[in-house]
Amino acid sequence: MIRYLRLAGLQLRISAAAGMTYRADFLVEGALALLLLSLMLLPWIVLFSDGRTEVAGWDRPSTLMVMAYFIGVRAVLEGLISPSLVDLLERIRSGAFDYVLLKPIDAQALVSTSRCEPWQVVNVLFAIGLAVYAFALRGRGPAPEDVALGVVLFAAGLLAMYSLWLLCAAAGFWVVRLDNLTYLLGAIFDVARWPVAVFPGLWRFVFTFIIPVAVMTTFPAQALLGTLGIETALATIGGALALVVVSRLVWRLAIRSYTSASS
Amino acid sequence: MTRTLRAIPTLLRVGVAETVAYRAEFLIWILTTTLPLVMLALWTSVASERAFRSYSSEDFVAYYLAVLIVRNLTGTWVAWQVSEDVRMGSMSMRLLRPLHPFVAYAASHLAAVPFRSLVVLPIAGVLLLSSGASSLTREPVQLALIVPSLALAWLITFSLLFALGALAFFITKAMALLNLYFMTFSLFSGYLLPQDLLPGWIARAAAVLPFRYMLGVPVELMTRAHAPGEVRNLMLGQLAWAAVSLVVALRVWRLGVRRYEAVGG
Amino acid sequence: MIRTRELTKHFRVHKRPPGFRSAVRSLFHRQYEVVKAVDGVSFTIERGERVGFLGPNGAGKTTTLKVLSGLLHPTSGEAMVEDHVPARRQTELLQKITLVMGQKSQLIWDLPPADTYELNRAVFDVPRRQYQETLAELTQLLELGPLLHKPTRQLSLGERMKCELAAALLHRPTTLFLDEPTIGLDVAMQLAIRDFVRTYNQRHEATVLLTSHYMDDVVALCPRIIVIDAGKLIHDGDLRGLVKAMDPDKRVSFTLTQPIGDDELGKVGALLQRDGARVTVRVPEREIPAAVGHLLRELRVADLAIEDPPLEEILREMFGKAKQERAPAEPGQQP
Repeated sequence: MIRYLRLAGLQLRISAAAGMTYRADFLVEGALALLLLSLMLLPWIVLFSDGRTEVAGWDRPSTLMVMAYFIGVRAVLEGLISPSLVDLLERIRSGAFDYVLLKPIDAQALVSTSRCEPWQVVNVLFAIGLAVYAFALRGRGPAPEDVALGVVLFAAGLLAMYSLWLLCAAAGFWVVRLDNLTYLLGAIFDVARWPVAVFPGLWRFVFTFIIPVAVMTTFPAQALLGTLGIETALATIGGALALVVVSRLVWRLAIRSYTSASS
Repeated sequence: MTRTLRAIPTLLRVGVAETVAYRAEFLIWILTTTLPLVMLALWTSVASERAFRSYSSEDFVAYYLAVLIVRNLTGTWVAWQVSEDVRMGSMSMRLLRPLHPFVAYAASHLAAVPFRSLVVLPIAGVLLLSSGASSLTREPVQLALIVPSLALAWLITFSLLFALGALAFFITKAMALLNLYFMTFSLFSGYLLPQDLLPGWIARAAAVLPFRYMLGVPVELMTRAHAPGEVRNLMLGQLAWAAVSLVVALRVWRLGVRRYEAVGG
Repeated sequence: MIRTRELTKHFRVHKRPPGFRSAVRSLFHRQYEVVKAVDGVSFTIERGERVGFLGPNGAGKTTTLKVLSGLLHPTSGEAMVEDHVPARRQTELLQKITLVMGQKSQLIWDLPPADTYELNRAVFDVPRRQYQETLAELTQLLELGPLLHKPTRQLSLGERMKCELAAALLHRPTTLFLDEPTIGLDVAMQLAIRDFVRTYNQRHEATVLLTSHYMDDVVALCPRIIVIDAGKLIHDGDLRGLVKAMDPDKRVSFTLTQPIGDDELGKVGALLQRDGARVTVRVPEREIPAAVGHLLRELRVADLAIEDPPLEEILREMFGKAKQERAPAEPGQQP
């Protein structure tokens, strides 16, 4: 286990070093991060500009909190998960994935941390700042146990996101030319910008249980605000773990298929 | 020139075959247009009890479904495709052919439009007519102009994205610029929010930027009653931007190719 | 040790004839064709041997290597590498083998090879000291010194190949699968790599299984040659044996000291080449003594040489014969 962590750390360090070699890109990425942030906040600003105080039962601070989680999880998606997925799909396409299978390390572990975009850390900081501002709007800070639960559910959300990534990666084996899968993942995640309550009944169900993006932003936001029931919290964590298991099984299936039926 | 024209039917046919062959990839491109639906959900929820500014729930439904349709019919991934071809070196092969790559790419992307319509129009169209019918325009002039407007919007979008992709000849991480472009697009075209819900300076800026003419105009023709003078201005705006973007695309391309050949491909 | 018995690997390939209508039809119904990439191949290779795989494109050489390295599951039959079933991809086996694919790269593109080496060291859990010793040895043998810290994309093809080889050997494997390692390289680099492989094999008693399009690689490096065509093994033995099995006509070359007409030469053997005074004819082996006698005594030629035909030609004939023997109902080649 330690070995895997050390390996992950090494891969990320190498990737970060590679990323920082292009200095001009670095600045562009920074400007982009700022622009993206303002763009994400714009609908929120407009939304509450006509004087209303809530949307689907969610007030200003709580919708902002959902957005904070959205930005945070998205930063991890764009910073860690997507780049590795792009790398994996490229390796599958070029055939270099064979080398991954030749290593005495679990292939999933190796490809999950192969690349990163270090600049996304800035977005995580933005997210935290936004959460703090949301509390300022509300007028009272969070209880310690809420913070703890908020962090735990953030981790659960990340696990769920990672599992969706893994499922996409597995799909990349069966259908060869799928470089745009990363865009799909990002597009699905767009759903998580707003509290899941804004969606009509059927979709609320879909986005909570089938494509559980609500798990990633709505529930953690509620946890941090102290409005999440303990059963829901446990169910969320359980669901995320179940998703990890399912995606692992699908990944194994994909590898089996790759080694039995392809060239 | 005539050779190019004669090649077009074949190019289109091959484009269709390509779309069919890579159907999974092409389906994914359709599925990535989720933002209008997300915004639709949000705004209909917001406007469910009382209208938001001048928009009722139905207005939002009509608006965002129109955005979805227009986006699907006019959006292309050519920028991404061109930058990949440059990066991987497969551009060299295209440059050797006696057919301008612009035409080749255009043909294959145009060929995908029927398929996209087939997938998107039934669902979105039905939803549009059932939930948002009252907000759709009834002006015969506007209705008649929808298809030409879509065609022009497609041309502007394609040309500008083509030019963006060609920037890959000059810079390594063209992807970052593509992201920047998309953010600007979503703001000024009406993709993210209807123009009149945004602060005034955005609407004023949008008048001189191409983005509104890539998406906003067809959408507005579908969902809003404009004065005839306004309609004429919008169409002229589209024509102007179509010409400009075409010129820009070909110019950037030529500069890029020259550089590409100088560096050794 | 490597052992296979009736090793078979089939692929299902999506088939689609050209044309618009079939393109649309394939949306709803896909047609498949079975390709027999490897068809009942059996051989045994002992520790420390150097064996070359020869065969035309699509013969099944790469597929066999992939099965042996665990990348592909066989459809039927057995394969054992160092007492392990490769398809199970057990860690113990993966530590002992390596596969180098000449057309695919494992080096990180934007970074120097040294970084990839570090990564491989961690992946294979090579103790630091052993790693440094191995790296020093490889650096010396392959002359990697100035290359280690240049980004991979700045290296030439030959330099990159050398670095790839090193990357593959950092964990001191005892079985090497080399798939077209010299493809695209110039002659000097091919020689360098050949020398390296031979040295490595002798020093570490590592088993080497090599495929190559370049006959010279195989002939120079491998005492034993396995010939595969259309998935079937058609020869397994040394070069001499291969030539003998084909029993080709010999080539007799000589220099004329007096003018002799073509038809006169034709009586000695089929005229292959005439370049001024230098002539080459083809003579069946059993007729050699008579032909040589005639050439020396009656025709009084000089600089007489008797040789086997080039290996390419022998193989071409071999594959041509094999193709005729096969039923015409199997058109497919490996995708």
